[in-house]
Amino acid sequence: MVEEKEITVNIKKYDENNGEQWRTYRVNANRYTQMTEVLRWIKYEQDPALSYRASCHMAVCGSCAMKINGEPRLACKTMAFNAINDKNEVNLEAMDYYKEVRDLIPDIDTFYDRMYKVEPRLYADQTVISGENEERMTPSEQKEVWKFEECIWCGLCVSACPSVKEDEKFLGPAAHAKGYRFIADGRDTKKAERIGILMDSAWRCTSCYMCYEVCPQDVQPVIAIKKTKAYVDEYPGTTEVITMARKHDDTISESIAESGKIKESKLYLKTFGYVAAMKDMMYMMKQGKIKYAMSKDTDVKNIDEIKKIMGDKK
Amino acid sequence: MKVAYYPGCASHGIAKDVDIATQLIAKDLDLELMEVDDWNCCGGGFMDDRNEEIHTSLNLRNLNKVKEMGYDKMATPCSVCLNSHRIAVDKYENDSDLKENVDKRLEKANIEYEGGVDSEHFIWVLIQDVGIENIQKHVKKPLKDIKIGTYYGCQLLRPSNVMGFESAHDPHSVMDLVAATGATPISFPLKASCCGFPLMGSNPPVGLKMANNILSDARNNGADMMVHPCSLCHLQLDVTQLKIKDHFKQDWTLPTLYITQLIGLAFGHSPEELGIGKITAKYLRERGFA
Repeated sequence: MVEEKEITVNIKKYDENNGEQWRTYRVNANRYTQMTEVLRWIKYEQDPALSYRASCHMAVCGSCAMKINGEPRLACKTMAFNAINDKNEVNLEAMDYYKEVRDLIPDIDTFYDRMYKVEPRLYADQTVISGENEERMTPSEQKEVWKFEECIWCGLCVSACPSVKEDEKFLGPAAHAKGYRFIADGRDTKKAERIGILMDSAWRCTSCYMCYEVCPQDVQPVIAIKKTKAYVDEYPGTTEVITMARKHDDTISESIAESGKIKESKLYLKTFGYVAAMKDMMYMMKQGKIKYAMSKDTDVKNIDEIKKIMGDKK
Repeated sequence: MKVAYYPGCASHGIAKDVDIATQLIAKDLDLELMEVDDWNCCGGGFMDDRNEEIHTSLNLRNLNKVKEMGYDKMATPCSVCLNSHRIAVDKYENDSDLKENVDKRLEKANIEYEGGVDSEHFIWVLIQDVGIENIQKHVKKPLKDIKIGTYYGCQLLRPSNVMGFESAHDPHSVMDLVAATGATPISFPLKASCCGFPLMGSNPPVGLKMANNILSDARNNGADMMVHPCSLCHLQLDVTQLKIKDHFKQDWTLPTLYITQLIGLAFGHSPEELGIGKITAKYLRERGFA
């Protein structure tokens, strides 16, 4: 007999008429009980009106995404005994960011809109479609694509992303993972166009690794964004964001190649221009920090090692 | 105890006060910080955007220097430098294609990566090796009746499978250290959200907005001041305070400190000795802490 214990489940309920309110339920669970099972028992036995989504119960469909004790997670991939605190309690809420529909169900249409913007399907060569040719992926290509292909469209990364909340021009982590997946796929014919769709948005990511942390499939979208940024040298177009990013990153690369370190005053001047850099210097002066901005750190002595590591790319 | 110490570019530049305070309290705690020989910039958050091979190679060069010095641990006061070195090792160990190309680059520079060096944040060393009780014993001026917002930021915590020290959603290291100084730690919802610094080189308006969100959230939750654990958060949240105030037309600032500056105050050092910025120093004097 598997040992059972009673757990307390606090759910933030929502409907249009009554707004948000927390309700508490008590159910018995054992060490094999998934949070989706807990929700099913509550719905069947205590609150038929409780609304939540759950379909596959095996982390494939992505429908049971929610906040469990404040953490963005899939309910089916979370065991009740791992979720409860030392008082045997667990809190459930709908994901952040999306419009609330009812209880644990958000409206994730905006997530799908983001995904469709990156044209999430393979555009194969005409000769492949007509059957004249066949194309195969190399093992290293498949390895590069594999991780970013695993997205189950659950929406957790977008719900937790700080850049998504502040910047409507940022496509969000999942769309970037999907977009890069096709950039890296040699069979796709839209590489240049895809880089064009993604490049400006990529530089709007703040690299905070939140998407990497919350993804239940270990897709690591932030890594896909970094890999997309690496195409900036071969991308012919530009925007305000890309222009600044190029200046900033080129100056850092030059600085490391020359001295092995980042020279901040030079970085300010080259990235922001004389006027804006002077403004920032004034703020630093008011804060008593200008003496640090003027200090000069020693260069790497064995700079030859750095130059050889940097090699043919600046 | 001796520990290899990687200051990073920012704490030898505009965030020099991070280095000053860290060195000062390390001395108080008999922790000898041995600066990594001929260290180079880790390129964290920048070089990994442009070239993963170069980024990984630069970090492994530093770790090799630590090994040559005879240590198996490197401590840094900067969360981005920490993240950079740990991510580099993780990629090198788990991506065989990347490893092959990194080895080629290192070979050109006559470097053979040995491995066996762990990168840690300076606050991990404080908690694990020095110990909270030991820190409490060094407190000469307990910081009573002051509420300190405890901010963690992103790079110290995430990804947790690589960083590994504490929960990415419910961390407590900074709170534990603040409590040791006698001050009251304040948790707030955005404690582990990004300060926006990485956007300052591409999309500064949104970067500033993120910084303002953090400062406002700490303030709205009752914090008198805020501490953080990162040289680059320091550039964003301390050095840039007045710019944020002007940009959002606000009539307030939230005095902000690097965590070792707060510990230094409790150890009896003056704001000047700890290199503390003018806004925070003025506030500390007003409250009678300096």
